[in-house]
Amino acid sequence: MTTPDPVTLSVLDNRFRAIVEEMGEAMLRTAYSQILNSSRDFSIALCDSQARLLAQADHIPIHVGAMPFAVQAVVDAFGNAVQEGDIYLLNDPYHGGSHLPDLTIIVPVFAEGRLLFWSVVRAHHTDIGGGTHGAYNPAATEIFQEGLRLPPILLGQNRVPRADLVRMIVTNTRLPREVRGDLMAMIGAAHLGEKRLLSVVAKHGAALAEAAAAGILALSEAHARRIIASWAEGTWKGEAFLDDDGFGQQDIAIRATVTKKGDSLIVDLSDSAPQVPSFLNSSWPNTASAVRMAIAFLLDPEVAKNDGCFRPIEIIARQGTIVWPHEGAPVTMCTSHCSNEIVEAVVKALANACPERAMGGWGRRFRVAIKGSDARRPGRSFVWHLFHARPGGGGSSKGDGWSSAGEWHSAGGLKFGSVEMAEARFPLFFEKHELRPGSAGDGTHRGGFGGELVMRLETDGASVANTAGDGVRYGAAGMLGGHDAAPHHYTLNRADGTSRDLRTKEVGIPLAPGDTLHVRAGGGGGWGPPEKRDPAARARDAEEGLL
Amino acid sequence: MSGPDDRSDEARQAMSYRIGVDVGGTFTDVVCVAADGTTTLAKAASTPADQSEGVIAGLAVLAGRLGLALPDLLARTERIVHGTTVATNALLERKGARVAMLTTEGHRDVIEMREGLKPERYDLRLPAAPALVPRRLRLPVRERIRPDGRVEVPLDRASLDAAIARLKAEKVEAVAICFLHSWRDDSHERATADAVRAALPGVFVTTSAEVLPQIKEFERFSTACVNAYVGPVVSRYLARLRGRLAEAGYGGPVFVILSHGGVAPVEEAARLAAGTALSGPAGGVAAGVALAQRGLGRDLITFDVGGTSTDIALVQDGEATLGRGRTVAGERIALESLDIVTLGAGGGSIGHVGAGGTLQVGPRSAGAVPGPVAYGQGGTEPAVTDANLVLGYLDADNFLGGARTLDRDGALVAFGRLGAALGIDAMAAAEGVHRLANVRMADGIRVATVRRGVDPRDFTLLAFGGAAGLHASAVARELGVTRIAVPVFAAGLSAWGMLHTDLRYEMARSEIGTGGVPDDAALRTIWAGLESEGRARVGAWFGGTVETKRAADMRYGEQVFEIAVPLEAVAWDTPGLTQRVTDAFHARHESLFTYALDGEEVVLVNARLAVIGRLPPMPAPHAAGVRAPAARLATRRARLDGAAADLPVFDFAALADGQAILGPAIVESDTTTVLLLPGDRAEMDARGWLSVTLPGEG
Repeated sequence: MTTPDPVTLSVLDNRFRAIVEEMGEAMLRTAYSQILNSSRDFSIALCDSQARLLAQADHIPIHVGAMPFAVQAVVDAFGNAVQEGDIYLLNDPYHGGSHLPDLTIIVPVFAEGRLLFWSVVRAHHTDIGGGTHGAYNPAATEIFQEGLRLPPILLGQNRVPRADLVRMIVTNTRLPREVRGDLMAMIGAAHLGEKRLLSVVAKHGAALAEAAAAGILALSEAHARRIIASWAEGTWKGEAFLDDDGFGQQDIAIRATVTKKGDSLIVDLSDSAPQVPSFLNSSWPNTASAVRMAIAFLLDPEVAKNDGCFRPIEIIARQGTIVWPHEGAPVTMCTSHCSNEIVEAVVKALANACPERAMGGWGRRFRVAIKGSDARRPGRSFVWHLFHARPGGGGSSKGDGWSSAGEWHSAGGLKFGSVEMAEARFPLFFEKHELRPGSAGDGTHRGGFGGELVMRLETDGASVANTAGDGVRYGAAGMLGGHDAAPHHYTLNRADGTSRDLRTKEVGIPLAPGDTLHVRAGGGGGWGPPEKRDPAARARDAEEGLL
Repeated sequence: MSGPDDRSDEARQAMSYRIGVDVGGTFTDVVCVAADGTTTLAKAASTPADQSEGVIAGLAVLAGRLGLALPDLLARTERIVHGTTVATNALLERKGARVAMLTTEGHRDVIEMREGLKPERYDLRLPAAPALVPRRLRLPVRERIRPDGRVEVPLDRASLDAAIARLKAEKVEAVAICFLHSWRDDSHERATADAVRAALPGVFVTTSAEVLPQIKEFERFSTACVNAYVGPVVSRYLARLRGRLAEAGYGGPVFVILSHGGVAPVEEAARLAAGTALSGPAGGVAAGVALAQRGLGRDLITFDVGGTSTDIALVQDGEATLGRGRTVAGERIALESLDIVTLGAGGGSIGHVGAGGTLQVGPRSAGAVPGPVAYGQGGTEPAVTDANLVLGYLDADNFLGGARTLDRDGALVAFGRLGAALGIDAMAAAEGVHRLANVRMADGIRVATVRRGVDPRDFTLLAFGGAAGLHASAVARELGVTRIAVPVFAAGLSAWGMLHTDLRYEMARSEIGTGGVPDDAALRTIWAGLESEGRARVGAWFGGTVETKRAADMRYGEQVFEIAVPLEAVAWDTPGLTQRVTDAFHARHESLFTYALDGEEVVLVNARLAVIGRLPPMPAPHAAGVRAPAARLATRRARLDGAAADLPVFDFAALADGQAILGPAIVESDTTTVLLLPGDRAEMDARGWLSVTLPGEG
């Protein structure tokens, strides 16, 4: 095998990273829906011929560890039949996908007569059919109520997608134009990756490009192992709880038993709760990705997130549990819940091994979508999704947590829109949108504060809301003596003077003009015992009116 | 460039000068263009504590080179244009004013929530960044305006008086007044500003609508807070500069180059201090535009390699590319700004083995102190400049025209250590650092081009700043670029560029209603209002010709992001204007994103107007006169692509017009060095640049 010199290795490492960045920009420029071009809910990966993750663009952490499963599913399904110019597509969480709204395009890269790389694009689509608009269906008890399932399919050959297949897929969604536009953007970005990889191979030769890929993975494996080796030896348990499954069952446990031995980790999730009837179950690729995400958060940020850095981690689970359900169970919520609980359980266990690296818990996701009419735009309905009043991030050995920066699975990467723009575009009035005092978990370094939102509906007649999420009973966890943060508390204050708390898994809540949604988001968990907090920092928080 | 002026007294008497001053991290560059086009460059050490000291020192050096006393030079100077990093440094070092914010009750945390975003996706231990204005100084005022202009809550005097009492007690130096929907109606902000000015005379007051009258509160509030934070610092600096110049005998106009690449009088730069954040690198882009006008080519990549960073921007069809603001030191400034990509790789960038085990270059820099190892000032880690020296591209005895001797042996020892860590020898390590610097610079250009959907191969690479000439040819090869230009005065090009740009005032107004594009009459009214206000403002700055350029920010109904649509080519006065503006948007959307959606609702969000005051044209460049082709100065042993090679060395300043040089070769002057690779063909252009053609890709 050709061995690249260290300089060529660095050069190709830069090239692979630059290629995924360029693919990401191409997606941003060409994607149709706002969930992609505004919230950037998509990810890019390059894999080698053995389906090993080589490079990825830092978009959505929860996607990243899951992408190789998609490539492997294509290999399993098509094997030697894979040809240059093929375009593969999948979304089925039981065949290489994470949850149904995430479609994945997989394109093989051939050079010098053989398969060398895979170019992969995953994106969250605005709709994928199923029982509710936008894929999150708290009432689903089977995956069939969540939308269209696509096991790995050959979507096209010679780099052209089959028009009839594309039509079939988009016909099964409520927003065919958006889904088609986003699908075409994904294919374009995947082909851009193919083209750029081919130019690398043309310049350096296939053997050298492959050897460099292997060398890059070996270096990040060694990097990760060096860091893990510096942690304390032992076995620890960590657990985190979901509030409920929406069907009456409460306190659903995710339990991680983590063993650190030498430069390796074993993460055993076998003691987690049995699978549940609702969409909180986590598909196996998503579970593996959540564990990898937790470890990535504990390593140095500069460790390259590729197959190499995940090699020290062995993941064990039991089928039939919430982290590995039997085929057919609903899973749509899993990229946020129970991903967040898996991450928290793993971080809690490993906080004992590497206390300086552990961080307080980040917030939970509690979505609200409102569908109604606006008197200023007769004849048009609107759908508004709650992204304001985000929860807080956790504190750490380095300092206090970020306020209003979101959840474990997004970690400051999801932007909420302008209040002014929302008021101009929707019949909504934002009376208040500020930090929520007292929401952060106390600690040597406290968590960040969650947001507070008071929003009045000025709709034309009745409207309706759905919720999907978790975290009104359990707040983000404190670590190493730090306190848990306040959980979410959402209230609906009716125009008629009555009031009730919103639950996290409700469908079809009727709303009237003048009703007010009062969101009090949870904060981030604290790190370290509160009694060690610098009194000056506590005084500053008091002076800022945040306690 | 010329040496001491040797013309007759009469000739000098008749001359008038225009002077550009660019303050960099290490050097202050001063460029003077005389009436006959003669261009002279002088340098002085920058003085970070008070940049105006270095400016005066640079002017004194310049006067010496021209054989004049400083007062005589200044007495004959028509105008001075200045690029300053005072605002940027105040932000980076967090040394701005003590700022308070008066803001709509119920919304005091806009600048701290940062739209839910945090940098560094995988660094969850990154401590939360403190807001530029702490929460206890973000004081709520009871008032509320609706997006359609309706007053929901009138401005409440009691809450305003309470806030003003706090401002007095807190002894603030600046106040940013930031109310929701002031883009629609800024009467509450103005009334509040009047009250604050009356109660706290001498305090710097800025309102969000005056800085950026655009919808989207985070961008507007953040820009206003940055303006209040740097405003007092910039004002004080410019007042000191004016004072020093007056003392030295200068009474003419002083302009400051702004982030959008145009210039404005010092008073305007002080008022809109946040708009000076890119004042430093803007001069280089202005130079690109000026050289495009002189025939260098309509499409250029400006490639400015300095000591710690490389600035990259595009000139397309002769115009600089503008973007909607940028983030400086973590703070959002949403003013119209040049779209400059800054990369942490320059001559001082350090080569090292990263934690992951691969060779890396930058972003750490040796800076001015200790500087590269070869400076012999205590640096121990090898920098890119060290690699260029060890590889034979730089002359150890004639760096900066002999102003500094370089220690090649010391640099070689440092590369020996770096190589040992990688298992390669010192020369291979040096070559690796040079090569990786090239790769990183090429990736920076990809960010500015391919990632914005632009093919760099259609462009000419304009290489300037001290170190660009050593990397340009290799970087161009990485990208498939086949044309490079290196100006004779590459090291002072930013200061030169400032002299070649016009007065500019960028205006924007949000005009979003409940959607759609306004009708013909409404469109004309909106832009007529901008025109009269803009012409009045620029007309107050000078008496020359004023031009305007219309543009709009538009989007499809449910999209989140607007795109900038140039409207210069849209006929304005005939019926059907709304349709033409709408069509211009569809066409722009298609060219940017490959598709348009005819039939979909189109929304106009912001009306924009650039108001441009044309400054008197600069004299044509001074003709060097016919001279014989320069012979090679020397032959230097260098390392190219892993092998030793003897390269001919030429004196840049002595090249005759039209003289051709084939690579491999080195072309060097006191302030810059150009490395030509095998296959390159360079030709001296009479208009003042070395034009390099690379072998094509096929």
